[in-house]
Formats: sequence, C-alpha cells, structure tokens
Amino acid sequence: MVESLPLAASQHADPSRLVVALPKGRLLDEARGLLAQAGYGLLEGDNGRQLVLPSAAPHVRYVLAKPSDVPVYVEYGACDLGIAGLDVLREAQRDLLEPLLLPFGYCRLAVAGPAERAGRPLRLEPNPRVATKFPRLTEAFFRQRGVSAEIIELSGSVELAPLVDLADLVVDLVQSGQTLADNGLAELRVILHSQAVLVANRAAWRLKSQAIGAFVASLRDRSSVGDRPEL
Amino acid sequence: MRIDTQPVQELSPHVQWPLPQGVVDLVYQDAASKRELETALRGCFRAWSYDELIPPSFEYADTLASEAGTQLAEEMYRFTDRDGRTLALRPDLTIPAARVAATRLHDQPMPLRLFYIGSVFRYEAPQAGRQREFTQAGIELIGAGAPAADAEVLALTVEALRTAGLAQFQLALGQMAFFHALLAELEAAGPALHGLQSALDRKNPADLAAALDQLAVAGPLRRAISALPELQGGPEVLARGRALCVNDAMAAALDRLSAIHELLLACGVAEEISFDLGETRGMEYYTGITFKGYTPGLGFSICSGGRYDDLVGHFGRPQPAVGCALWVDRILLARQRQGWQPAPLRPDLLWQTGACPDCLRLVGQLRRRGLRVELDLGDLDLEALRARAAGQGAPRVALCAGADAVMLASAGAAPRRLSLEQFAGEAATW
Repeated sequence: MVESLPLAASQHADPSRLVVALPKGRLLDEARGLLAQAGYGLLEGDNGRQLVLPSAAPHVRYVLAKPSDVPVYVEYGACDLGIAGLDVLREAQRDLLEPLLLPFGYCRLAVAGPAERAGRPLRLEPNPRVATKFPRLTEAFFRQRGVSAEIIELSGSVELAPLVDLADLVVDLVQSGQTLADNGLAELRVILHSQAVLVANRAAWRLKSQAIGAFVASLRDRSSVGDRPEL
Repeated sequence: MRIDTQPVQELSPHVQWPLPQGVVDLVYQDAASKRELETALRGCFRAWSYDELIPPSFEYADTLASEAGTQLAEEMYRFTDRDGRTLALRPDLTIPAARVAATRLHDQPMPLRLFYIGSVFRYEAPQAGRQREFTQAGIELIGAGAPAADAEVLALTVEALRTAGLAQFQLALGQMAFFHALLAELEAAGPALHGLQSALDRKNPADLAAALDQLAVAGPLRRAISALPELQGGPEVLARGRALCVNDAMAAALDRLSAIHELLLACGVAEEISFDLGETRGMEYYTGITFKGYTPGLGFSICSGGRYDDLVGHFGRPQPAVGCALWVDRILLARQRQGWQPAPLRPDLLWQTGACPDCLRLVGQLRRRGLRVELDLGDLDLEALRARAAGQGAPRVALCAGADAVMLASAGAAPRRLSLEQFAGEAATW
C-alpha cells in the first residue's frame, strides 16, 4: 500500500510526527544499523520497492530519495530531517541546519588525473577539461587557484572521461582509490573530506523542536565521536 | 485518471516567453485572497496606530545599498537613468522607511509608527520559496529604544499573523547584542569570523569546533560560543545564557530579553515566541533583537524582523528603531496548505436587462448596496442564462420581462414573474 499526499498533510500538521528523508544506496545501508540502535529502525515492506516506510517508532516515517535530492526535500520542508553526504550538501548549497555529523559514509572528493602526470602542479594547467558530477565544488576549487577550468558535467562513470580523451582530469568521490587505479588514474588533490550528516529544515526545527531534539539526541548518543578529518 | 492531451495553445511570436522567471500573474481567487489579506493587515496595523508609508519603487542604488548589507546589495536590480546615475528597485522597505524617517520626519514627535505594504525586488537564483518580485507588509517603530518598543513590535507581529488566519506559528527570538558582545572578546575580524558565523548559522557543531580551533579560542569564551547552538527553547534559555556571560554587555543583552519577555507575557503573546540565542543571521543591520516566524506546512520563514539602531542615523539624525516584515506571498501559500478556504468569487445575480431603463436603475441600486450584479450582454433565454449562472456559481438569474416585470429564477427553484417593486423587496433580503 503506497502512501501519498495524506502523509504530508497529516504529518506536517502534527508537531510530534517526523518525516525523515534517507538517501537510497550505499549511505542507506550504513545508516540502517545506527537508526535501529537509536530505536528508529526502518520497517521494510514485502517488496522492497516502497518509497515511504514506517519506522520502529510510530511517530517517525522515512522517505527514500535519490541522495542528491535529500537536501531539496528537506529545504522545502517536505521532510523535516534528512541524511545526506557532506559532498552532496556542499554541492547543493541548500539552506539547511546541520546539527549532527554521523559516523559513516566516509569518503573524499578528489581531483584525479592520468597516473603519469601526477607530479605537475594543477595551477600550471592553462585550461584543463575536468569531468565531474560535482560542477559547483569543482568550479570553486579551480577558481580559487586562478585556473580557468572547463567543467564537463557527467552523471556517472566519470573515470571513463580521461580514457576516451573527453577530459584531462576528473573530480570524483574516492573511497579506497581502487576504481581510479583500475582505470590508470591517480589521486592528485583532496577537495573535501566527506561523511554522512543529519540535516534539518529550519521551520521544522522550531515547530517540532521536541520530536527533532529527541531524534538528534538519540542518534548522537549512538554515534561515537570520532575525529573529523581535516578539510 | 484522465490525461490532458490538449496541445499547449500556440503563442504569438511576441510572447514566446510570456514572463521572466521569478514573477507571477495573480488572477481571480488568488488576486482576491492577496488583496483581502493586505486589507486585513492594513486594518490591524492601523488599529495599533501605525500610519502607512508608500515609498517609490526605485531610488538611487547608493541610497539603497549603503546599509543594506552585501548580500542584499548584490541582489538589487540596477539600471541607469539618462544622467548616467545608477538606480535600483527597492530590495526591501526598511531602508526607504529609515531614509524617510531621517530626512523628512526627523522633527516629528517620536516615536514614529509607520507601516507599508508593497512589492520588493531581488535578483536571486530562484530557490525554495523565493520569487524575484514579492510582497512585504511591515511595520517600523522609529525613535523608541526601550524594551517596550521591542515587545510592541513582537506583539503586533503575532497579532498580524493571527489576523492572517494562520492555524499555528512560532517566532524564534534571538539577540544580536548578546552575540556581538561575545564576538567583541575575540580579537578577530572579517574572514576569520566568517567560518564561525557560517557554522553557527548551520548549527554545525563540527564546523564550529574547527572554526574555534582556527581562531585559537579556549576557556570560558570557547565554552560560551560552543554552547550557542544549544541556547534555544523557552525562557529558561535566558538563565542558561547567563551562566555563559563573559562580560557586562552580554549580561545587559540578556536583561533586556528578560524585560521583553515580561512584557510579552503581559500582552498574552509569550506562547508564540521561543528564544534562540544562536540565531545570528539575517540582515547585517540588526543591532538588538532579531526574530523569524515559522508556520506548519511551509519549510521557510514567513516573517523576519529586529532592532536596527544604526540604520536611521546613516541618513540623518540617529534614531533607535525596531521593525518587522511579513512575507505576504508565503503567508498566503501556508494558509492555503493549512486548508484555508477563500470566499468564492461569484456574482450574487446574473441579470439580462436589455436596454430597459427601469431594470438598469435597479441594478445600480443593488450594486450600491454591495451586491455583485453581472449583466448578460447577449440575448440568452432563461434556460441558457440559468446554465451560465450554474457554471459561475451565481445563485440566481433575472430576465427583463417587459414593462415593470422581471423573471427571477433562483438555483433549484421554478422561475417567478415579479414586479420591479416585489423584486427590489426580495433583493433586500439577500
């Protein structure tokens, strides 16, 4: 049974109920454990295709969204809270609160290029072609260095671009670096150290302060305070 | 479900792009609801003895930008007049109000109580809840520096939001004086503070810690700044804030909030107001209290205001001042989402008079009494007239039936033949 509009209407009116946006994919798999420990575990449906899911706490509902859409759902107030990667947040530049960093989803956004060019400074590139899924952060990174880069926005498999001479460099998320190495690329610079972040809508933060406060507190209690990588 | 397969009506080449992004046409119910809300707000402001200010839509860009803060100045629509001077569309109405108060009303008995309702223009990326032309309804209380003035503006804001018909709302009240007094302890300025303020704005504890590390802040000062994101909630926040004061100015800023809170309790509006000493964003010209309002169903604020004691002096004799602007379009949107039903727009009577002077005289009388009477300009028969009225939601139709006679047909009833006198008598009961 798919819930649609009535969810929004009833959940928004009642200050004790929360709608939380979760990013489908890798981050969600890592979030499940923490949410369950905090008493807000996802209750899965039969077919695994539902987009609105109940939680172990009756007043909390989850909405499964594409990771890059999570900040949008939360900024508009369609969801009160959300979990997103810092990489996605900084790229989206939405007006959100970020009350809690979560201890998973660690990765880094890095500039990478053909392994054989690793030594040459980026700022000596006159007009590099850079393929990325993160055009805003990429543009800012090169602009700060006075380099006029040609940003080529792709929506997947960015590491392919240098292989077919579509781009000179790529800016992409790196976890182990194995994908880069497999494609003959080497990591040159780190732009951003990323991890999962709990984000909140500014209006909901005021209007549902008790429910949100309890949610944040119980997640905080279960998140060991790890060292935050230097930016 | 029916899928609309009608092609989009072909546009004339002159209007291939009928409207720029960020502006809207309002018609029918939407226009009526907006005007009705503006009228209600105007009545509310007048009842509190505020008088209307109607400033021009554009002024010299330098006047508007001087104190607007960099963010607002960047968002102004600028253009030049024939002398080559740069003009700008007003990006808000507080700056024109301050200019008028300082340059034209400076010798009037203080305080001044002004209100305005009008469009403001900001060239900004269309994003959540923002248009490039939108309507603000606001109040400015100029020449009054006491906590009672802050309390009056807060209480009037609550009253205006109640008048607007919002089911529920909450104002988050901050105090820039507390934050500024805290920052004064830091021997840092400009870019170094930017990271700190950005982290506070997002309530991001990790970024805040990193910014404090970078500024090498330790001890009680670090404890106080780190606690800012948590200083939110009911009046108990003031006591928690007091434990963190590192100078007299911070304590004085809290004393002032306590005094305002007492007055809000007396006005019966304390329920709608919560405190947030970590709320440090907004217009750069705020010097004392700042506040933003929120209502269920809308993810962004519906009003914002605060005290700006340094702005009026920029244009002339300095005056303390406090004010608030309501975002009319957002309030309309929120109200609609909360189930607000606008009064239907329909004629009270659809009348085919032809050229009958007696009928037309009576039409005039009914209209002057406030009834909405629509004339049928064609020659519909009674059946067609009733069908048309049903489509419009008009409850009755009339048809001239010769000298001193009218056919009147109310919805769902058989038509009746009446004399004009009988007709006028019956119309008096509508």
